Amino acid sequence: MSLDLSGAVVQRGAFRLSADLSVPAEGVTVVFGPSGAGKSMLLSAVAGLQKLAAGKLSFNGRVLEDVLQRVRVPAHDRAIGLVFQDARLFPHLTVRGNIQYAEQRRPAARNAPITLEISRLLEFEDLLDRPVHNLSGGERSRVALARAIVSAPELLLLDEPFAALDGRRRRDFARVLKQLSHDHGVPMIVVTHLVDEAAELANHVIALRAGRVVCDGKPADAMMRPEFSRLLDVRDRGAWVQGAAGFGSGDGVWVRADSVLIGASEPKGISARNVWPGRIASIVREPDGAILVCMATDKGYILSRITPEALSDLKLEEGGAAWAIVKSHAL
Amino acid sequence: MVRAMLTAEELEILSTSLGVAGRAVLVSLPVAILFAWALSRPRFPGQSVLNTIAHLPLVLPPVLVGYMLLLAFGVNGPLGGWLKATFGIQLALTAGGAAVATAVMSFPLMVRAIRLSFEATDGGLFEAAAVLRASPWDRFWSLALPLAWPGVLAGAVVAFAAGLGEFGAVITFASNIEGETQTLPLAINAALNTPGRDEVAFRLASISLIVAIVGLLAAEGLQRWARRRLEG
Repeated sequence: MSLDLSGAVVQRGAFRLSADLSVPAEGVTVVFGPSGAGKSMLLSAVAGLQKLAAGKLSFNGRVLEDVLQRVRVPAHDRAIGLVFQDARLFPHLTVRGNIQYAEQRRPAARNAPITLEISRLLEFEDLLDRPVHNLSGGERSRVALARAIVSAPELLLLDEPFAALDGRRRRDFARVLKQLSHDHGVPMIVVTHLVDEAAELANHVIALRAGRVVCDGKPADAMMRPEFSRLLDVRDRGAWVQGAAGFGSGDGVWVRADSVLIGASEPKGISARNVWPGRIASIVREPDGAILVCMATDKGYILSRITPEALSDLKLEEGGAAWAIVKSHAL
Repeated sequence: MVRAMLTAEELEILSTSLGVAGRAVLVSLPVAILFAWALSRPRFPGQSVLNTIAHLPLVLPPVLVGYMLLLAFGVNGPLGGWLKATFGIQLALTAGGAAVATAVMSFPLMVRAIRLSFEATDGGLFEAAAVLRASPWDRFWSLALPLAWPGVLAGAVVAFAAGLGEFGAVITFASNIEGETQTLPLAINAALNTPGRDEVAFRLASISLIVAIVGLLAAEGLQRWARRRLEG
């Protein structure tokens, strides 16, 4: 069960997106990349809103588009939902009307939450009879997600669904999203350019840059590759760490190299709750002069950015023992 | 109050005018909506031809439009003969014919207003509906039309107001028959051509002016009201 793109090319003006991918049709897949990488374009092509210029696209064995065979299933027949970044709520309907629009068009056999149920889950029950132009950005995002879930898609695509939400809501929303995907068995593909969000949500990661897939796979693998690291701003560099109690809201968490301290001996009497022993795997000098230390711990690889002075004071060496110290709020 | 202010003759002329313009709107509105929808879509083969057909009455002399209708729908015309033989309907020289001539002449105005409204709708909403399983036909009924209805309303009222003043096509196709096809402009023309009826012509012209102004104000008001309802 998967979404497969083989030799797929999408062209818009001078921009060209090429993809050869097989995305598992389960859990949450994150499409990560900087602005202009082609993330939204990929979603548009999968949803059927943008034609392929070449190649083939199929979902769970059903061919949705094949340029050579001149096959193209229109967007309304694909059973693929899409939550747009700008929500795109219908202005002539109330919140309830928007969600019922989806409810009335879903096949009777598909099991999905009804309007009231989803509005409770996403905490906008009191907004149901409001016209949509009175909603805040965050409220619009929640209604747009609810509308898409109620339509009972076989695959749900989400284009930066958290863009209009503040920090706390973002985390709540991410948790609900994973829950919905799990409870209703709806695989999701979520676009984001935020690495924390990617780490928290992903069961599978696709990294894009300038219209090309630079890496894809399980987050523990894909997010630890140099190709992935090169997509990140220096301040965002870090490591994907398996989630545990108190760690973020999902399966994993992104630990920024800037948030990790290194001890040459086991630290005692400090406030940090997360102290992980390990060995230094590599020490690399970064273009900006900082030192990037990679440690192998039982949590996986951890990166720490330190100054050259700290490196010489601590006398750190590759293969030597060290302790990674991470404050809880960095997780 | 209107009864007290107008003579029986004026009332009859006004009611003929309103009836003709009203029926003209009813006849042309569904066709105008389809034309406007097609013209507001991304380019497709034949769109320019459709655009030319929709705007032709705007550039043709009204008398020519009336003459073409007479050729096609006259009792001996191919369509007119068929209508008469099949349904017993005669358009030439009847109020129905006056409504058809008026509908043809006000068609471009109606298409223009409705098309602008369709074009002003955010195309992204149709994409959002498509991924919620709405077919193109469903999207037309559930989104395009409800969102464009202030424009549809305005187009209908403007076409109605313009229809009240249609002269050339009506007189050519439906002639000037009192109580049947004699609308305001036809009655004004008849009064002007009859010695001693200047005052009648002046009163009819005043009525025509007032009705036109009221029509335009109503179009503007209705459009504002509808837009407020839609956008809050």
